[in-house]
Amino acid sequence: MQALLLGIIAFVAQLDYATGDSMISRPIVTGVAVGLVMGNLHAGIIMGATLELAFIGMFSVGASIPPEVITGGILGVAFAISSNAATSAALILALPIATLALILKNLYLGIFIPYLSNKAGKYADDGDADGVQRMHYIAGFGLALLLALVVAGSFLVGSHAVKLLLDMIPAFVQHGLTVATGIIPALGFAMLAQVIMTKSVVPYFFLGFALCAYLKIPLTGIAIFGAILAVIMVQIMHSKKNNAEKVVTTDDGGVDNGDDF
Amino acid sequence: METTSKDKKTQDKNVQKKVTQKDLNKVFWRTLQMEFSWNYERQMNLGFAYAMIPVLKKLYGDNKKKMSKALKRHLGFFNTTPFIVTFITGIVSAMEEQNANDEDFDESSIDTIKASLMGPLAGIGDSFFWGTLRLLATGIGTALAIKGNILGPILFLLVFNIPTIILRWLCNNWGYKLGAGFLQKIQANGMMESLTFGAAILGLMVIGAMTASMVSITIPLKFGTGAETIKIQTILNQIMPGLLPLGAFGIIYWLLNKGAKPLVIIAGIAVISILGAWVGIF
Repeated sequence: MQALLLGIIAFVAQLDYATGDSMISRPIVTGVAVGLVMGNLHAGIIMGATLELAFIGMFSVGASIPPEVITGGILGVAFAISSNAATSAALILALPIATLALILKNLYLGIFIPYLSNKAGKYADDGDADGVQRMHYIAGFGLALLLALVVAGSFLVGSHAVKLLLDMIPAFVQHGLTVATGIIPALGFAMLAQVIMTKSVVPYFFLGFALCAYLKIPLTGIAIFGAILAVIMVQIMHSKKNNAEKVVTTDDGGVDNGDDF
Repeated sequence: METTSKDKKTQDKNVQKKVTQKDLNKVFWRTLQMEFSWNYERQMNLGFAYAMIPVLKKLYGDNKKKMSKALKRHLGFFNTTPFIVTFITGIVSAMEEQNANDEDFDESSIDTIKASLMGPLAGIGDSFFWGTLRLLATGIGTALAIKGNILGPILFLLVFNIPTIILRWLCNNWGYKLGAGFLQKIQANGMMESLTFGAAILGLMVIGAMTASMVSITIPLKFGTGAETIKIQTILNQIMPGLLPLGAFGIIYWLLNKGAKPLVIIAGIAVISILGAWVGIF
């Protein structure tokens, strides 16, 4: 029964991509649903949030596909709750699961959907819009179903084995993994920073860090200060550029004239 | 020239084909599925064709040849930030409408517009939505959820989805009304650059704050006994609170720049943590 419900959660989570990338596939959301199914909502929320931080740098930008967070998130939390393990257990379970599931997902996205897309091309030859539409639906719902089966199947087969495995891990390793759970979010933040960072905006990272470390301003507050500062800095950049442009245009005129004649 | 061909057209069919607000609304709802059939070969191609179908049916429903050409056109490679893709579907709707009413319309210009818009829109969209807004939502959401508060996941969804839905809706109508010239215009007056710059400032401040508040490393190691105990963590805090998280961030950032794979870094963190726990540092 639990396996079936977890499968349904996976199916709905994949509909993230049918509801405008609404983020319902993220561990922080699926964690709540899994917590309810496994009878420990509180743990589900906390584990979901922990996984969210670990997976924060892993999202699809352009053509890169991150580890499969749906199976990883759902199974990680489900196994951890079912074997009464600590939050860190959810993380050590989620990562390998997400990595394995990604292989399956890659096959689907790399072979099966392109096959459907070619078939859609044939429908297009006949001007058959409904045929094209059908291919889109099969591609989307098919993947949701596949992930649901993976989650439900793995839970049926794995929950007992996972408990034995977790019990075998010595205490210092478990403590070490708890420590790692605290550090891993730094990886996510670093990956995000890489996307945005340019030389001219480096100080703002340290400003955010210092405001939080010394003044203990909560995140919402930092976001508000950040938004205000962003507006101010853009205005300053604009007025600077406008002044520069005035100078440049007069200069250009002079040089051009000299070249032409 | 344009008037004459349009006049001829009007005489031919007697009626101008028009994309209505209702059609645009249908496209809006369908763009929510833009990434549903994402694939490695042509990425959002199926999703884009799927989204355009209401408009295409309206315009080419009675013309199988043109319908076929339009469907094939939109099954070509496509990829951009999904939240503002409505800007492109809006423009393309306007162009398809022109194409349906004007025999001399250059169909390849539709492909050109799609190809030239998806890059810049993805450039600004990816950094704003994935970098800044999602980060904001995650920051606010996890800060509560990590303590077991159900408001965390709820706020996470609201903070992310309310702005994206509103923007998606606005872009849908802007794209159709303003047509293809608009993006060049805002690129020319530097608005694009300003938006990216502002989003980067906000995004990095939040990343900095999250590094300070959500990365946790402490060293409970002590030297000496009784009143003379020296706690390493106390000393570190006196140097600077959050020194260890900042150091971890710095090392990882440096490793990423060196081309290290995220999974290798995770494995490294796990190994170091376990060794540290074994030796008794952590």
